[in-house]
Amino acid sequence: MKDKNFLIIGHILLLPILVITWETGAQLGWINPVFYGQPSGIVKFLIKHAYSGALWKDLGWTLAGTFLAFIFGSIAALITGLVFVQFPKVEKLVEPYFNALNVMPRLALAPLFILWFGLGLTSKVAVGLSLCFFIVLSSTVAGMRAVSQDHLTLCKTLGAKSTTIFFKVTLPGAIPIIFSGLRLGLIYSLLGVIGTEIVASEHGIGQTITSLATSFNSNGVMALVFVLAILGVIIVRIMTSIELYLSRWK
Amino acid sequence: MKNKVVVQDYSLSFDGKNNVLEGISFDVNDGEFISLVGPSGCGKTTLLNLLAGIIPLIGSGSIKINGRDPEIGSRDVAYMLARDSLFPWRTALGNAEFGMEARGETKEFYRAKALNMLAEVGLKDFSNSYPKELSHGMRQRVALARTFALDAQLLLMDEPFGALDAQTKLQLEDLLLRLCHQFKHTVVFVTHDLAEAVALSDRVIVMSSRPGKIIADIRIDLPRPRSIRELQKSEKFHELYSVLWTYLEEGWVRHEG
Repeated sequence: MKDKNFLIIGHILLLPILVITWETGAQLGWINPVFYGQPSGIVKFLIKHAYSGALWKDLGWTLAGTFLAFIFGSIAALITGLVFVQFPKVEKLVEPYFNALNVMPRLALAPLFILWFGLGLTSKVAVGLSLCFFIVLSSTVAGMRAVSQDHLTLCKTLGAKSTTIFFKVTLPGAIPIIFSGLRLGLIYSLLGVIGTEIVASEHGIGQTITSLATSFNSNGVMALVFVLAILGVIIVRIMTSIELYLSRWK
Repeated sequence: MKNKVVVQDYSLSFDGKNNVLEGISFDVNDGEFISLVGPSGCGKTTLLNLLAGIIPLIGSGSIKINGRDPEIGSRDVAYMLARDSLFPWRTALGNAEFGMEARGETKEFYRAKALNMLAEVGLKDFSNSYPKELSHGMRQRVALARTFALDAQLLLMDEPFGALDAQTKLQLEDLLLRLCHQFKHTVVFVTHDLAEAVALSDRVIVMSSRPGKIIADIRIDLPRPRSIRELQKSEKFHELYSVLWTYLEEGWVRHEG
């Protein structure tokens, strides 16, 4: 208990200590704020950016891209996973190609997708989707393959229909594994979208980060990176609590 | 009395050379409780799986249930595995319901029946508990509720209490005695525990180790209803136990010799 209290106090104190040291360093000229920014400047930028509405517009574009990538990528992965589990031969057939695609750094495709789909939403969704797809696919296949042989024997002796077996046995048993894949898939969708925005895009946080960096606005870049960090934490928190709820029987 | 199960001169080999089962013949009357005992590897579970239709009839001889070949998924048969095989994502109630649900009963029907069966096995207050919250014994009680709720005429049980500690095992044997007395099912029960076989059965069939043959088919004429505690004090019980033990040993000697 004592250790836990110490940790909580530590967590709370760490941020102000860091911020005060940084700010003092910048004020005293030890740290060059042109390159490294300074907390007061970052806060000022955030307030201005939020008031003008630009922050929300950027956030909207980025989130829209992320969710579209996540939803389409996950649905495609779930369907492909189902096909793989149902027809292992299909999996065997495409396996080497899928492996190659999976290990290839998908961000390398961003310039090509931008060329094909333009600077709008589609190109970033395509990159995010390509990242999300493989993660969700492998967890779907792993989850459904993990079905217990005892459960299958039981179902057979009960004369259960194959749809009953799928919806009442295979799927519920696979949900915790599939869901941890979905959580990672969402984070990687965000990564793909931001990455593509940084390469080239009309809107979005990534695009704004690049334009701020090229005009030496380090405070602005830091502010947006901070926003992304918070966004990531929120996403993980939400997904983890859904996951905990769905696997409360574990 | 009608014969529920008839096995005639059944031999089975998986590789075409070595027999797993050899010349097995026995029948089970309606309402009778028989146990198959024998050392591990004697083919008793294989025999049970043949009756359940899990293994197809690829051997020679015949096996009939109600005059027909065994068929997997038949409504006349309920199968209970060695491990509880409960679904961890379903509550005790959900697990007790599963068999009936899978057989396409209406929700109204299976909900009421499952609650009733949970009460029968002494888990009335645990219907909303997940398997992880239950002890091994309680989990096997849920599995019993699921099996008995099916109302199948023939129960096939593969060492259902094999993984339990001694005391819990005795409690569950008592429970099974009571349920069988109440619902009058025909039971084929596989075990390697002789005391369990004597306590529960009307007849005990002793098998030798590979190839599995029937060495003895002993009638257990202990009066019913029985209680495990009373049986421990019964001279007849111990007498039957030692007779069976001799047969089982003989099976071993024959095997090793």
